[in-house]
Amino acid sequence: MARTGFCDSKPLLDLHKKADERRVPLRARANACAPTDRRQPAETDESRMAPVKMETESRWERRLSAQTNESIILGFHVDSRASSAETVADECVEKPVLLYPHGLQGLHSLDALVPSLLRHEVEMALEKLDLICDRTFAWDLFLDMMRTQTQNSFPNADLPRHFTDSTRAILVDWMVQVHELLHFQEDTLYLAIHLLNHSLRQLKVTTANLQLLGMVCLLIAAKKEESLLPEVSDLCSLMDHAYTKRQLLRMERRLLCALKFDLSHSPPLHFLLLFAAVARCSAMMVWMARYLLELSLQEAQCVVFLPAQLAGAALCLARHVLQESPTPEGEAAWCLTSSIHVGSQTILLRIMQILATAASRVQTHENSATFIKFSSPERMHVSRHPGLRNPAGLLGVCSSQAPLKGTKLHL
Amino acid sequence: MTPVSSPSLSMAQCTGLQYEPVAEIGGGAYGTVYKARDIESGKFVALKNVRVQTDQNGLPVSTVREVALLKRLEQFDHPNVVRLMDVCATKRSDQETKVTLVFEHVDQDLKTYLERAPAPGLSPERVKDLMKQLLSGLSFLHSNRVMHRDLKPENILVTSQGQVKLADFGLARIYSCHMALTPVVVTLWYRPPEVLLQSSYATPVDIWSTGCIFAEMFRRKPLFCGESEMDQLGKIFEVLGLPPEEEWPTDVTVSRKNFPLLHARPITDFVPEINEEGAQLLLQMLTFDPLKRVSAVKALEHPYFQDEEPATQTESLNQGVKSAAGGICV
Repeated sequence: MARTGFCDSKPLLDLHKKADERRVPLRARANACAPTDRRQPAETDESRMAPVKMETESRWERRLSAQTNESIILGFHVDSRASSAETVADECVEKPVLLYPHGLQGLHSLDALVPSLLRHEVEMALEKLDLICDRTFAWDLFLDMMRTQTQNSFPNADLPRHFTDSTRAILVDWMVQVHELLHFQEDTLYLAIHLLNHSLRQLKVTTANLQLLGMVCLLIAAKKEESLLPEVSDLCSLMDHAYTKRQLLRMERRLLCALKFDLSHSPPLHFLLLFAAVARCSAMMVWMARYLLELSLQEAQCVVFLPAQLAGAALCLARHVLQESPTPEGEAAWCLTSSIHVGSQTILLRIMQILATAASRVQTHENSATFIKFSSPERMHVSRHPGLRNPAGLLGVCSSQAPLKGTKLHL
Repeated sequence: MTPVSSPSLSMAQCTGLQYEPVAEIGGGAYGTVYKARDIESGKFVALKNVRVQTDQNGLPVSTVREVALLKRLEQFDHPNVVRLMDVCATKRSDQETKVTLVFEHVDQDLKTYLERAPAPGLSPERVKDLMKQLLSGLSFLHSNRVMHRDLKPENILVTSQGQVKLADFGLARIYSCHMALTPVVVTLWYRPPEVLLQSSYATPVDIWSTGCIFAEMFRRKPLFCGESEMDQLGKIFEVLGLPPEEEWPTDVTVSRKNFPLLHARPITDFVPEINEEGAQLLLQMLTFDPLKRVSAVKALEHPYFQDEEPATQTESLNQGVKSAAGGICV
């Protein structure tokens, strides 16, 4: 095997290499180190996709959500409803909402219904996503996710001096490849990148050891999330034996000590799947959003954002890219999802800009592991979608329409 | 307590010389426990060293997950759970890694607290408050899918302000690989029937132990003091009666026929100071069938706790959730 890629003496420093060359070594190694029998491929993600299908529930409830959405906006968001809210509200009003039950008019305020409706939707979604075993704890779990996610972002995107944004992007890209190769779950990838972000702020690691650090992040994340683990010797061979097993295990101890064994993480993917389920997004839209969200892992500047913000922005951008023809139910569900306040419009637009730029850049080069992963038929070729080609066009759309933006819920 | 003359080098290395050992406070079934001083803050901590077997694939998954879970519980800052302040892993040999857990140090456990209580024992109100805190800590652990498995007065800490803090929870699985190698004497007195019978078990084990401790708070001596598994079961049935055939677990080797057909005796014969509601709750906790045993959450809703006096130390879990709701907007 040609000695190229990350495993060489100056693996990550060599940033002058052409992108295609970077891609080669792992491809080659992928053939050399086919997963052994004890590593069964992770389950397909089909089960996670299920919730995006339309619910068979009473029309009554859909009407209600349509109606109450307007009142969320009007009720909670009086001062800034001018442009964005009206757009959303108009969409909602177009539906035959006139049939909503008369009994509701007697209520003091429809606002009061919104949290309970949203709560119901969130609980159902969490249950279907298999994120909870008992629905009685679902809402608590959601609140807990919203609360603890603040520990997952960083105050700034500063990296150690020798570790540039592009070095980071290369490392992350390689980690995505390894993750694919080992058939790990996506949660493992998100956790591994989180551990990487965290450890770079806690540990002093030389450039030569960055790849080792990336691999150890994957290993620890796998120990937390996976049921079947790779052998450490296999991991060493994935790095062309540039590091010994002893070095790898030493790094494992160093990293766990530096992190104080804190492996808790609210993956943005959970928020994305949750929001998508509540918003009744199409499978295509969910894949598109998942693709955009995974691209955010490569962007060093994204570490300052909260997981729910990244998820919200990815979903908004996916919506703009796909431009699916709106259905009344879809719009209503989207409005309801928008009432989960994840961040200011400025923040969401900023993330959408980053993601749109990244998607178009990646599509031109076609070499990113995430791009390749999401160009597969089972992921509906979303990364090749023509809508991603022109970020300027996308951003134009972004700034004129309301992104996932709503009201602050007083829960 | 024996003074420690030379602090272990690896401990110093691991914790960056931050902790100065003061005394060894227990050999413990699972490893050594030191009382140490945090040099920065001057506060006392309890250092627990756990030796885990490591193979060529590094730290065992169970250790990584369990310690990570303990760390995660920290985020909730529950008042009735002992604080985990620091963790680190150091290599001892190719086959062994030492994991050091640094907990807050509380001087007094429930055992000493009961021993020190003046003559007539604890007042019924005091017992109620302690129980409420104990169950509140337990329901927090159980809702986070952590079971204690070895609850006893020695690992229930009571601060000088009377605050209950559960300790040593969730360690059983971290220790388990080490335990298999060490013949340990673990007290049987708080073990539920399903553990004594080596049947499958889950969070209800802790409720049984809590029931035993509840009775002990009134009695100031343990309720069931068996000397072997069979003896312990015998002692339990002497009080609660032999359970009916249909409640006997099917997956166990010990036959119900080994025990004499005893009938339940009034629990107040053994815990005379307890009131009616308390006795009712106690029996719900000491239910033979783990599936019928009361849960921690349900126990807290029992009429025994529903009276005029407001909770002193106890901050209910619900309050915690409400404050979490306040943080939803970013």
